[in-house]
Amino acid sequence: MSARIMIIDDEKIVGDMARISLEQEGYEVETFLNAAPALDRLREQGFDIVVTDLKMKGIDGLEVLRTVKSLYPGVKVIMITAFANLDVAIEALRGDVFDFFPKPVKIKELKESIKKALQN
Amino acid sequence: MKIGGKLIFSNIFNFLLILIIGAFAIQNLNSILTKLKFIEIADDLNFSFLEMRLSEKNYFLYRDEGALKEIEQKAAVTQGVLNSVSRDVIRATGRQNYDLLERYLGDYLSAVKDISARHSRDLQSEERLRVEGRKLMEFSDRITHLERTKVNGIILYSKQVLFVSFFAILILALTISHFLSKRIVMPIKEIESIAKSISAGDFKIIQKDIPNDETGSVIRAINSMSGELRSREEQIIQSKKLASLGILIAGVAHEINNPLNNISMIAQTYADAYDSLDRGQRIDFMGKIEGETERIKRIVKNLLDFSKPKEPDLAVADMNGIVKDTLKLVQNMLDVSNIETSLELGAGLPPVFVDGHQIQQVFVNLVANSIQAMSSGGRLTISTFTGKDGNTVETSIADTGKGIPQEFLPHIFDPFFSTREDAGTGLGLWVSYGIVKNHNGRIAVDTKPGRGTTFTVSLPAHK
Repeated sequence: MSARIMIIDDEKIVGDMARISLEQEGYEVETFLNAAPALDRLREQGFDIVVTDLKMKGIDGLEVLRTVKSLYPGVKVIMITAFANLDVAIEALRGDVFDFFPKPVKIKELKESIKKALQN
Repeated sequence: MKIGGKLIFSNIFNFLLILIIGAFAIQNLNSILTKLKFIEIADDLNFSFLEMRLSEKNYFLYRDEGALKEIEQKAAVTQGVLNSVSRDVIRATGRQNYDLLERYLGDYLSAVKDISARHSRDLQSEERLRVEGRKLMEFSDRITHLERTKVNGIILYSKQVLFVSFFAILILALTISHFLSKRIVMPIKEIESIAKSISAGDFKIIQKDIPNDETGSVIRAINSMSGELRSREEQIIQSKKLASLGILIAGVAHEINNPLNNISMIAQTYADAYDSLDRGQRIDFMGKIEGETERIKRIVKNLLDFSKPKEPDLAVADMNGIVKDTLKLVQNMLDVSNIETSLELGAGLPPVFVDGHQIQQVFVNLVANSIQAMSSGGRLTISTFTGKDGNTVETSIADTGKGIPQEFLPHIFDPFFSTREDAGTGLGLWVSYGIVKNHNGRIAVDTKPGRGTTFTVSLPAHK
């Protein structure tokens, strides 16, 4: 069974492009523009990895991280952000984020990070 | 001449004047005393002369030979008295009069002696006696009268001189106080008004002729301070502009990073998945890249608009448009801070005649403060409406933040006043106030601690 990856980013292109690249690797990918429906989906369907943007309207990436970790501690969370700031990075690390990518994201690096997360 | 020197000079002058008047008064008094002393002596002498002439009358009327002896005795005594008071008499009437008096007395005495020595009553001698007696009496009366007149004259003269001196001193004192007022009080008043306008943020300088004295040095110092403050203020406004630009750049950088990331990811995917993409997908990818560059172009344009030089560039504008443009600049800051924004734009607003960029800067500053006041999120309401009298266009920016404590309210528009513990410069409201004031507008604040703050910018409608 192939690994399931959820991508949350309010930029539609991020999800679209990540889906094409990751589906090529054989992963099952679902993309969301908002965190709320994504978390709902997470409760009905298990995912192995959640890739989330940090700054979003409504529920932001840190809250997604906390929620995911409290519901499913085994799920790895990878964060991407256009707004790199040390305080946020520290808070993400404390929240047990698996990896942290500043935008613009290198898709190859993202793939490697996902591979590593799945091996763990 | 310096004011200090002038004051010392005028004081010395006044002192000398008083000294001279005093000396004059003492001298007059002395002279009056001398004259009065003489008049006293003259009264005594007159009395003696009168007695002599009484005896003379006895001699003529009653043929009393003894009367001549009495006259001789009295004349001798009077001569002695006259000699003993000679100094006083000379001082009062002059030597000439004294000599004359002595001569007339001597002549009278010699006439008496002449008659009594001859023991004969010839008419010639008797006539001489009468004539000499009358001359003596008349002369004595005349000089006494003259001295009395002189005393009156001196008193009158003293009165006049003292009267005139009183006015001279009065005028001098008035002149000095006028001078003081003109040279010290007036410049101080001027300095006071300048100091007031400086503390109100208007860095005027005193343009009038600057006197070359102590107040002149103060005015020069104030002028140089004011000029220095003006240039500092300009530097501060400049750096404040840079600071607000910095905040915007941080927001804009974030904003640009998203389309940049999108372009990058499209390009990477395009290269990665080239073989599996059909023609339509490839064209769609390129279209998306084009769309993202359009996004960046718009952001850069906003940034350039904001960073243009802030020379007042008045133009007829629509306040709703300015508000909308401002919102584009701050939208990202608001999103990042979890703040919901609602716009309540009034319909049919009269146009305004403003520098749109400067008014945008005011709104950006106010929104930045609101964001700061709502650190845990909240709601920002921006509304525009026509003022009650129809002559103004009002824009209110209301937040649901922590509010401004009552004791801070009088200071919020002061430069460098900040309640923010972070990097707040305390210049945002001050700069905003200056801009609104330059537009003949008003900026008002209404705040409820714990409930929120509303800033209302009121600008004159363009007729």
